Amino acid sequence: MLTALLEQIVNGTMIGCIYVLVALGMVLIFGVMQVLNFAHGVLFMAGGYVCHFAFFKLTGSYPAAIALSMLALAALGLVLERAVFRPLRDNIQMQIVASLGLILVIQNGVVALWGPNALQMRVPTAETIVRLGSLSFTAQHFVIIGTVAVTIVILQLFLVRSRLGTAIRATSQNADAARVVGIDTNRIFLITFTIGSALAALGGALLGPLFLIFPQMGDLPLLKALTAIVLGGMGSVPGAVIGGLAIGIVESVSTLFIPTDFRDTVVFGLLILVLLFRPWGLFGVRVRGEA
Amino acid sequence: MRPLLASTGVLGLFAALYLVPVVAPGQLYALHILTLALCYAVPAIGLNLLFGYTGLVSLGHMGFAGVGAYATALLMKNGIVGFAPALLAGAVAAGAVGLLVGVPCLRLRSHFFIIVTLAVGVILYTLFNNLDALTGGAEGLPGIPRPQPLDLGFIVFDFRRPQGFYWLALTVFAATFVVQWMIVRSDFGRSLAAIRQDETIAAARGVDVFAHKLAVFTISAAIAGIGGGLKVTFLRAAAPLSFELLESINLVMIVILGGAGYLLGPLVGAVLFIAIPEVLRIANELRLVIFGVVLVLLALYAPRGVCGLLAALRRRLGSKGFAHARHS
Amino acid sequence: MPAILETAGLRKAFGGIVAVDNVALSIPEPGIYGLIGPNGAGKTTLFDVICGRQLPDRGTIRFEGQPIETLRVHQRARLGFSRTFQECRVLVEETCLDNVLFAAQDKRLGSELIQCTTRNAHARQAAMAEARRLLALVNLESYADAPAASLSYGQRRLLEIVSVLIARPKILLLDEPASGVNPTLLNTLRDFLRRIYDERRIVLLIVEHNMEFIMSLASHIVVMHQGQILAQGAPAEVRADARVIEAYLG
Repeated sequence: MLTALLEQIVNGTMIGCIYVLVALGMVLIFGVMQVLNFAHGVLFMAGGYVCHFAFFKLTGSYPAAIALSMLALAALGLVLERAVFRPLRDNIQMQIVASLGLILVIQNGVVALWGPNALQMRVPTAETIVRLGSLSFTAQHFVIIGTVAVTIVILQLFLVRSRLGTAIRATSQNADAARVVGIDTNRIFLITFTIGSALAALGGALLGPLFLIFPQMGDLPLLKALTAIVLGGMGSVPGAVIGGLAIGIVESVSTLFIPTDFRDTVVFGLLILVLLFRPWGLFGVRVRGEA
Repeated sequence: MRPLLASTGVLGLFAALYLVPVVAPGQLYALHILTLALCYAVPAIGLNLLFGYTGLVSLGHMGFAGVGAYATALLMKNGIVGFAPALLAGAVAAGAVGLLVGVPCLRLRSHFFIIVTLAVGVILYTLFNNLDALTGGAEGLPGIPRPQPLDLGFIVFDFRRPQGFYWLALTVFAATFVVQWMIVRSDFGRSLAAIRQDETIAAARGVDVFAHKLAVFTISAAIAGIGGGLKVTFLRAAAPLSFELLESINLVMIVILGGAGYLLGPLVGAVLFIAIPEVLRIANELRLVIFGVVLVLLALYAPRGVCGLLAALRRRLGSKGFAHARHS
Repeated sequence: MPAILETAGLRKAFGGIVAVDNVALSIPEPGIYGLIGPNGAGKTTLFDVICGRQLPDRGTIRFEGQPIETLRVHQRARLGFSRTFQECRVLVEETCLDNVLFAAQDKRLGSELIQCTTRNAHARQAAMAEARRLLALVNLESYADAPAASLSYGQRRLLEIVSVLIARPKILLLDEPASGVNPTLLNTLRDFLRRIYDERRIVLLIVEHNMEFIMSLASHIVVMHQGQILAQGAPAEVRADARVIEAYLG
């Protein structure tokens, strides 16, 4: 029993790290721009596809393919922010409509280009087995955990130590005040969206070798990441990290007790419970007194 | 004078729709497509009331259609009741689920509410997919019988035939349309419109915003349930994929495309969404890519959809907008 | 006879900031009351708490002797509270006439749902004449069928005020009605507000920054400073009060 638990905890941490990547992108975008980007799941998925393309057609190197996919999706994010989300800045509902449209375009565009079937991406780290006692995992599990850990540290250093990062944090706290002190908030929004997209791409590129690459691969991670940022607190970066890991571990461990089919229901049930009883999450800011 | 013209226009439209099988008797494929469009137009009316008139975004609305669909399917399959009671039972079931979801969730601020509707839609789909004993699981419930023929003496409506079912679907849609019209042109509708424009004003003028939202959410879910029941009776089978997240997004697309907040928006959107690609024989993925692009363009340049564009055109051409007016 | 409006020990804090601090306000009878004070004194918050938009942390509010501090906004509105907003809120998509008629509508959900099925337009027709009369009072009768969005800011302010009048409120709370209004229209506005009081004998509680405007209109002035009531009395008294002068200058 203990070994099964340990196995699921490692699995959960790995998948939790993936959720963290998607959640980080979403929480940055929401915190800074107040935009709920529902298209983040398809950006994640597109990252997987571009990585696959880069790996097989451009360079045989997995790390290089990851880098290329992050760059490509960063560029796409840049275009989307400028062309779609900036004009809709004050209109929550139309932002959502637009992001739904983007989901249709990107998801079906991928099917049109690559076909509906799943793609395999066999990379050395996914083929190598790592043994921990009686348990075995792929090296990719630990590559994911390690990469995400490093990413979190880099992101944190960036946000706290660099001028740009500080400007981003200032804008997320109060965009008007940031403008007053001379921060170009348009540029900040653009950069934030770009970073968010790149993080999503990293997630897709990292997960691809483990679980195949297919058009719907981003749908559930989107919803899990949404749950993570609600759990963690809508504007909180540490919250997204803790939320993502928590959800990954909870969902993996729950498969020991509940049929796998209902695993996702557990997560969404958790989402609804959090929204009903503590909508500001663990680290969010509570808005009190609204009658 | 203007409302009279508007009503005449709408009546004329419905008359024309009823005459389609008479005027073009051999066009069975077109009839099939139109009937399918009507099956989407009904839940779209529900979403239109919720989103177009009250301003609440629901990204899981086909989940409620699924509740109604499975309720209707189970009753019809086991021959317990006829079609009309089965459809109404579906509406009640869907409405009840809507009420259950609405009570805790409508108090949430808009971002959170939208996320909850997404989660509810996914949960309902998972339930449809996994409660095998009740819903037949992933395979669903095949073999749903069409309603018994309606014998009026001088004419018999056979609902197993395309024309018969088309008229049935059109009648269900027409009834739902009348309900929408009644709500929109009433004091209740005016309160909903006020909530959409400015909740603070609505509350300050005496509107119990939460109660109103709950009422329209429940009604909207019930209407979606009717649409679901109609759809599975038409397709003769109920399957979870009919009510998954993508279908909910399609429903949003239909409402936005047709024109959110316009009475004829759902019909226009459903016809455009279902019929046009069939007519142009566009491949499935390409169709959805195009619709995605259309959706983004609508959000950016024409948030009021086709009806909105037509209304603006009418204003430009001089006569004041009426037939597709929001509510005045 | 209980006071029309009475608060005791009212307190509302946001985070570390106490916006309303132990406020005991008493409005014994109908009249025009002014509520003034420097920026950040807590005037709008007090309005929000009185109307139910914010719930107080502590304290009571009594309306005609009945406690109302737990009632929600719409419930207080139905009791007879009407308010306008500092930022001037009207239903921009609706016509001016519809804006006014909406305020007259019976908004209880049950009645509305019944009206939905009976299609009874009697109440609306009955309110029509009064609505047009009110629009005429503020020179907006030619805009009756125009969307509120097409009005100028000053006109919207007037529309906002007449919209709430049709509901026959017992207390009318106006949040900076003169702000943004063209100086040439201020006299018209002042006369209009005085006329409302003369005709209806209700309570008008007006937050204002325009001293000349409010001093010449109100019979009783309440001064707030840093969340508390600093002074109150007739305009002349308050104007001469040393503490008031210091609060504004210091």
